[in-house]
Parts: sequence; C-alpha cells; structure tokens
Amino acid sequence: MTKFTQELVNGLTQGGLYALVALGYSMVYGVLKLLNFAHGDLYMVGAFVGYFVLQWFGGPTALAVPVPIVLLAMFLLAGGGVGALGVAIERFAYRPLRDAPRIAPLITALGVSFLLENTMLLLFGASYRDYNTSAFISFSTGIHIGALNIDIVRIMVIVLSVALMIGLRLLVSRTQLGRQMRAVASDREAAEMLGINVDYTISATFFLGSALAGIAGVMAGLVFNQIYTLMGFIIGLKAFTAAVVGGIGSIPGAMLGGFLIGIAEAFITGYVSSTYTNLIVFGILIAFMILRPSGLLGRVQLQKV
Amino acid sequence: MKLGISLAAITVTALVAAGCGSSSSSKSSATSASSTQAAGGGSGSKSCTASIGIEAPLTGQVAVLGQEQLAFAKLAIQDDNKANGTNITLVQGDTQLMPAQATTVTQQFISNSKIVGVVGPAGSQEVEAVGPLFGRAGLVFISGSATNPTLTSSGKNPTFFRTVSRDDVQGPEDANFVVKHLHPKNLMIVDDQEVYSTGLVSAMMPIFQKAGIKVDHESVSQKVTDFSSLVAKVSSDTTVVVLPWQVAANGQQFGKNLAEQHKNATIVGTDGMFSPSAFTTPGSYVSSFGPDITAIPADASIVQAAKTAYPKFGTFGPPVYAATHVLDEAIASACKSGTATRSSVLSAVKQTSEPTSILGQPIHFDTRGDLIAAKWFLFKINPQGKYTLVTNS
Repeated sequence: MTKFTQELVNGLTQGGLYALVALGYSMVYGVLKLLNFAHGDLYMVGAFVGYFVLQWFGGPTALAVPVPIVLLAMFLLAGGGVGALGVAIERFAYRPLRDAPRIAPLITALGVSFLLENTMLLLFGASYRDYNTSAFISFSTGIHIGALNIDIVRIMVIVLSVALMIGLRLLVSRTQLGRQMRAVASDREAAEMLGINVDYTISATFFLGSALAGIAGVMAGLVFNQIYTLMGFIIGLKAFTAAVVGGIGSIPGAMLGGFLIGIAEAFITGYVSSTYTNLIVFGILIAFMILRPSGLLGRVQLQKV
Repeated sequence: MKLGISLAAITVTALVAAGCGSSSSSKSSATSASSTQAAGGGSGSKSCTASIGIEAPLTGQVAVLGQEQLAFAKLAIQDDNKANGTNITLVQGDTQLMPAQATTVTQQFISNSKIVGVVGPAGSQEVEAVGPLFGRAGLVFISGSATNPTLTSSGKNPTFFRTVSRDDVQGPEDANFVVKHLHPKNLMIVDDQEVYSTGLVSAMMPIFQKAGIKVDHESVSQKVTDFSSLVAKVSSDTTVVVLPWQVAANGQQFGKNLAEQHKNATIVGTDGMFSPSAFTTPGSYVSSFGPDITAIPADASIVQAAKTAYPKFGTFGPPVYAATHVLDEAIASACKSGTATRSSVLSAVKQTSEPTSILGQPIHFDTRGDLIAAKWFLFKINPQGKYTLVTNS
C-alpha cells in the first residue's frame, strides 16, 4: 500500500505538470486549430525565469526574504513573463499566418521552438542549472509515515496544479472572456460578426496557456531541480500526448489526459519495468487514436456536406 | 495591438531582469549548432598547414561535456602550434551526442579536404555510426571518451583510435569494486538505453551474478529527468544503485530522489557521470577513464591554462587534449617528410610513441587502435561534494 501511495503521488506530480502544459496546447488548438510546438519551450523559459528570480533573492542557500515570498515572486514573474512571451509569439509569428494554409503556422511553430531553445542557449549557456530546492525547503517537511515519504514540494505542486486547473475551468465557463474564448473556438468568423474582439481573445488565450506553462516550468525546477535549455522537448511531447488522449481542444480533457499519462508512467515504472514505460504510454496513444480519435472528452467534428 | 506590444515589452523586461540576476557562470560562452572554423591560435610557420575536426556535443543535453572537450582541444592545438611551428586549425562539429547528427558532421568533414584528422566523437553510439564512413575516407579519428569494446574489436572502424580505457576494463573494475568493497546483497542497475550504458551493464552483470547478488536491472531514457517512480522501487535491502549514465545531472537528480524518499542506497556511477560540477551526491562513487590532472605535477601549466579556458573541468577534457596532441604530432611528423595528407597522418598516428602525456601515462596504440596499458580510476564524493581518489588500476 505504501508503494502504491508513493507511486500515486509521483504520478500525480508528473501528471499535474503534463496537464498544465497540455492545457496550453489544447486552448491554442481550440481557438486557432494550431499545434503550437513551441509550447514545451515556454515551459523551459518559465523554469529559467524562476531560477533567475531565485538567484535574485540571494540564491537557494542565502535567501534574503521568507521562502513563501520568493515562491510567490517566482510563480508570478514566470507566469506573467512567459504569458507575455506567448502573446508576443502569437502576435509576430502566428497572426500574420492566420489565413495561410495550415502547414505554414505548423512549420512556424517548429521554427519558434528552435528559436527559443537556441536563444536561451546563446543567452545563458549549455550548463545545467540547479534549483537546489532542498537548501530552502527541507526534505524533512511533508508527510512521512513509515516507508512513505511525500515531500512538501510535491504536495504543493499537486495542490497548485489542481487549483490552477479549477481556476481556468471557472474562467472559461463563467466569465465574459471565457464566453468569448468559447465563441471564437466554436466559429471565429461568426464570433467576429457578433462584435467579439477576436485578436484580443486569441491573445488572451495565448497569455493564459503560456502563463500556465511558465508556472509549470517553475514547479518542474522545484521538484526535479535540474533545468536546461532542451528540457521543454520531452514534456512538450508528453503533454501533446495528454492533450490528444483527453481530447484536444477540451480543457477538462487536457487535465484528465495529463494526470492519466503521469499516473500510467509512474505505475508502469513501479510495477512493471521502467524499460517499458514509453512503449506502453505511447501504445496507449495509438490505441486511443484508433478506438476513439476524438479522445476521452473530445467532441467528434461534424462534417459539413 | 496595444496589448501585444505592451506584453512583449513586459517579456523582454522580465528576460533582461532575469539575465541581470544571473550569476557570472550564467554568462558562459555561446555555442554554435553548426560547424564553424576556429583558429588554433598558433604562431608557427605556414609551411605545415592543416585542419583537425572535432566532433563533440557542443549543444544539447550534454553540452557541458562537449564544451570541456572543445576547450581542451583548443588548448592542445595552441600548445602544439607553438612548440612545433605548425599552423593547425580546428574545425568544430556539433553532434549533440546523436548518431544521426554525428553522421551529418562526418560527411561535412570528409568533404573538407583540409581536414586530415578528427578528434571525437564523444559517444560510443556515435563512433558506431560514423566509423565506416571515416574508414572509407581513410580519415583517422581519435575519441577521448568512447569506451565500448566492440568499437575496436569488431574491425568495422579501421581508422579509429582512442585515448581512454575500454568498458571491459572499466565495467569489470567497477563491478569488482562494488562486490569487494560495498558487499551488496541486492543491487539495482539502471541503463540509459544508449550503447555506452548497455555495454557497461553487459560487462558488469556476469560479475554481480557470479557473486550471488540479486540484481534488479532497470532501463530509463536519457531524456527522463524525474526518477521518483524508479526510486520507489529501491527496496530497503538494496544498498547499491549502479548508474552507467552519460548525463551527470540525471545522476544528481537520482540522488535527490533517493534523499527525498529517505533511501540510503549508495550510487556508483561510471565515467559518464564524472562531473565535479554536476554530480555531487555525497557518499557516491564515480569511476573515470581519466585521471584528476590537477594532482599530476607535470600538468601544472596545462591545468593553469585549462582553469582559465574552462574553469569547472573534469576528466572529459584531458583525454581529448591527449587525442588532439597525438594528431598534432602526427601532422608535424608528416610535414617533415612532405605534406600532411590523410594517409600520411593515419600512418603517423599508428606509429605514435609518446613516453608521457597529460594523462600521466605513455601513449602507444595496439593494432586495433586501443590505448596500451590504459588506466582506470575510482573516486568517492565526500560530504562537501568534492571528489577524492579511492583507487586506480
């Protein structure tokens, strides 16, 4: 039972990060029908912003202010900064191609991904950077019952991920902006005719999706410690898988897909073998594509005839 | 529009502020993803002019390793140009430790007629991919870190040499140390799904099995950065975890996951994990094909120059310095009897006879390209994260 709980917590932590990144994929796909392959790199930029904020406050071993304030600043600046970066990317890389054939923004998204990776490499070098979280948040805090050890940072990541997802769900379902986003996702031209500012709505969608990725990047730094300029690639791939499994374009689907992939990885590693983790996870993706192409909570697209 | 511009401005400000808050180490040199030409820095005569290519992971997940190798290759060329009066230049090729990328760089080097020898590539999987290409072109290449035994025993890489010991030295030495000194009853060994790693596991497993140790063999991709699920499998009676990995930072994360879950297993890493800056988990052991050159008095001047060029160097740089030096000397020797061509440099490398080297040992190659009497070193990481030599062969 202890091992089960430990693996469940590991899966929820990783799944929470997948879900946050998958949300950005799904939201952008919802409004633009674009697979934003640069999204994983926004997660990487968020991790770096968080790292430099941590250094600015004195570094992990000599923080000048209380830890909660540092964490708050890391999340806010990473979320705000990366959100703004997402808006800038949409404005300058994707908006000019909004009416171009679909392949054009797709290729541009790959180009933006490489641009972000190599710009960060040029600015900050190739070395790994270490959040060294245990220096300011002790491993001893958290839940320790017998052989079960749940670090406080993992608890924080799970709680914060779920809170952000609930907040986003409420924003989309109950606010004016959310209604606009749903309208643009449903039919952009019709939304424009009804007086909705489509550009603003798309920018806001990019801001929210990118901010979540930036916050997820800080969480990853806090839990996994090591950050580097290519760290966005693999999570981008996994989050994309999560978005597809959940039903791309569906916000609850992205959340569900993220947690499912994270938990599946943890249990396969823990109870089968780490050798087969990716084999089984991507096998699940293929099975979903064959049996349910619209994903768990995605809607089947109606064809106009 | 206004929203876009103002948010873009916030982004730039945030990134600039972030950069301002970085430590000095964050301003490390920029790397190039494409092949670029770098001057060797020598001031010798132009009568002996040639180029050496270097294939290393200059960007990507193990760029730390590649940048160290590049820094030492530059130092060797600088020193040898000065000593021999040659004008050797270095052409950089970034492989990112990927065989496909290494193949592309290799084709570029082969088509560059100025290149008469190559240092690298770094990984065994890359050597496997590029060896036949170099062989067909008659271009000599010397790796300072590829250790898989089959690279020389298979006969597929006729122009390949290395300045490090093979895994069938390192693997058994590491395994025997674990059996004789750490006495585990249960042990976990995790490969990282690369040729380097699986080769070492194959070399170690028979020794563990012969000693009656119960082994849990796991496998995890090099790109994974969270090992908490794997660490949850480390049982309380598993006292040793062997990690024959190429990414030292991953080993550090494994150590943190062990600490997080209050597991006391000792990590034993192989040469790919040797990185005093990236892997500092106290109580762990790390083996290496290279010595700690800071402890070799004859290397004092090189150490001083290296500390300026690449302050946090480990053991990946010195064997590349040795490899580059072998090529420099071969080119100088070929020039004495005419012009440095690919075939004359290959012949000269085969006849290499260096009585001493940066590695603190002579350099002679056997007929397969292996270093004769190659050494092996084992270090322990103390509570302050410093490496101390435990034993060597």
